[in-house]
Amino acid sequence: MAVVTMKNTDDGNLLALLLESGAYVDNPCNGKGLCGKCKVRIISGDVSEITEAEKKFLTESEVEEGIRLSCLTEVRGEVSVELLQKERKHKVLTKGYVPEFDADEGLSGLGIAIDIGTTTVVTSLIDRENGRELANASMINAQKHFGLDVLTRITYEYEHPETGVKELQEAIVKSIDGMIEEVCAEAGKDSGEVREIVVAANCTMLHMLLGVDARALGRAPYKPEFTDARTVTAKEIGIRKAPEALLYCLPSVSAYIGADIVAGAYVCELQKKRGNVLFIDIGTNGEIVLAADGRILCCSCAAGPALEGMNISSGMRAAEGAVEDVKITEDGVKLITIGGEEPAGICGSGILAAVKELLRTGIVKKTGAFVKKEQLKEGDFRYPMIQVDGEGKRAFILCEEPRLLVTQGDVRQVQLAKGAILSGFTALLNKAGIQMEDLDEVMIAGQFGAHLPAESMAGTGILPDEVKDKLVYVGNSSKTGAYMALMSKKARSEMEALAARMEYMELAETENYERIFTNCMIFPKF
Amino acid sequence: MAGTKEELLAKLAECVVEMEEEEAADTAREYLESGYPAFDGIMHGLVEGMNQASELFDAEEYFVTDVLLCSDAMYAGLEVLKPHLEEENAEERKKAVIGVVEGDTHDIGKNLVKIMMETAGFEMIDLGRDVPLQKFVDTAKETGAELICLSTLMTTTMGGMETVVELLKEAGIRDKVKVMIGGGPISQKYAEKIGADGYSQNAVEAVRLAKNLLNIC
Repeated sequence: MAVVTMKNTDDGNLLALLLESGAYVDNPCNGKGLCGKCKVRIISGDVSEITEAEKKFLTESEVEEGIRLSCLTEVRGEVSVELLQKERKHKVLTKGYVPEFDADEGLSGLGIAIDIGTTTVVTSLIDRENGRELANASMINAQKHFGLDVLTRITYEYEHPETGVKELQEAIVKSIDGMIEEVCAEAGKDSGEVREIVVAANCTMLHMLLGVDARALGRAPYKPEFTDARTVTAKEIGIRKAPEALLYCLPSVSAYIGADIVAGAYVCELQKKRGNVLFIDIGTNGEIVLAADGRILCCSCAAGPALEGMNISSGMRAAEGAVEDVKITEDGVKLITIGGEEPAGICGSGILAAVKELLRTGIVKKTGAFVKKEQLKEGDFRYPMIQVDGEGKRAFILCEEPRLLVTQGDVRQVQLAKGAILSGFTALLNKAGIQMEDLDEVMIAGQFGAHLPAESMAGTGILPDEVKDKLVYVGNSSKTGAYMALMSKKARSEMEALAARMEYMELAETENYERIFTNCMIFPKF
Repeated sequence: MAGTKEELLAKLAECVVEMEEEEAADTAREYLESGYPAFDGIMHGLVEGMNQASELFDAEEYFVTDVLLCSDAMYAGLEVLKPHLEEENAEERKKAVIGVVEGDTHDIGKNLVKIMMETAGFEMIDLGRDVPLQKFVDTAKETGAELICLSTLMTTTMGGMETVVELLKEAGIRDKVKVMIGGGPISQKYAEKIGADGYSQNAVEAVRLAKNLLNIC
């Protein structure tokens, strides 16, 4: 593993110094001392005493080896540390369903369609003459150094009022420049030929891309500085690879229903579908759009990062070695990992599959609590799968070596995500005055949704059983929307009209929301 | 039909633990009709049930939402019993101000802490959510509350907690009021950093912390 030596550093926080040096350290909680993921081994140097908070996350042997949580470690002078994680290859979804549409006539030159996700950025190089994709590329959003989720990045702006907006803009622009270079090189084209760039993204990413203060998005009443579609020249925001290109950003509806969702709803043709259609994009925020009887309602729910493998004790992102599917059988636990590698952790689809299996086998009850081990007979196949620690806390042994657990806390994280998504879903149906069984179709969009099979979604009750056979996976509909806007002015104006038509509903303001949420927390019974 | 006092108390507690809202109210009526004192019904029936629910929460058997449902049952019973409380039972209770800090509208966690603290005998002054920071200080001053409980789910608003601590100092009452904080992004480390008196990870812990801070055993 990589060793990083930092010389002549000022006194400071080890995680901050490592990130500054460009090292890769996993830190989903953004240095708050809560997740225990930023472990490093101290090789040499003057470091602060180990804290009680760290000991909670470290085994005795780790403490002996000099392993520390970098976010809780202060250092002085020259320090050498060994990084314990390598940046893993991620699977990124770049494709999706494209409806039939008429491209504008007489288009020429190259175009770029971009979907800026909080986590990943996907770029396509398009030959505008024929609408063909010449190359595509994807990468992790470089803003991750400022925090993994939208709120933490907004917090960065609060904490750095002078420089934050600029720094966040530079990070994403640099990513975009890199990807334009990459796709043009792959297609053997000159990036100077790029005439137009179309961007779909959530509202915060759009603010940050255009260098607009995003702080208001992070606090009630969550008011964006802009939601309308915007056009600028690429060089205005600092893009160097295609400075003369025009850059068009799709419109948003509100702070938490961004252009990515408008694009998705458009691609799924919610504006013209008959019947009742639900569109859902599952991520840290679950965005839900319901088209019912000509009305288009939408809401956003805080699902938390559990379905992305975060906030889970053995969690990791969907990268090589991540457990993505789980089967519990009488002969033991069967795991499938990404790339078929040794299990290194569990990702979103894996934790969801695991919880579904725990519910199916009755190891977890519908209230979300583990069954008591003493209630099982010793010969029961489930008996050896449950671990009970000194404090009586129960966990499921997913893998013996390396030891991976699904703890009660992990199940609760999934339950919270499930409660949030299903309650958003239910609140929209209530508002439209329709029932689950009235739904004709449920469209699942986005990176994470694509990896969540119907069986797991219905099995954990994220979506009710009634809609299990009505699911349609539409892939990265955000990028598809950007692509359509790149090829058709009509698509642009229709998306702008759609954004204006979508009625946003604030869940927290909804009457009885707490009640709906509480009811939605119950897992389905097998 | 009616059971003994002990049986009815146990049944009240059970209704709370089992989240049986209507049955809790019915049992409370039956208890009153049998001529037993309302005060005992609350303390040794309903509150006892909430205490059992807390223990189940501690043991990871119950979760936030389970405890919320338990509290529904408790309040249903309380509504029946409360009008029959005799005045002298209205003992002096410690006051605490609670709310979600300005800029944040997520209040499920705050509501649960409020319920658990009320159950534990605190008089809770609930300012709701998205509460202007000065209001915490003003309310503490006006009511003579010895404790302020602050909650937030968002990193963007947690800075408001530090401001409340500062405002208490400015008002010259920092030594009279304890501040405890909680919520998703909050940690012990953060509490120490901003000079709050304590952090609790959940509603059950919050009760222990509050009692500790105010030296109540």
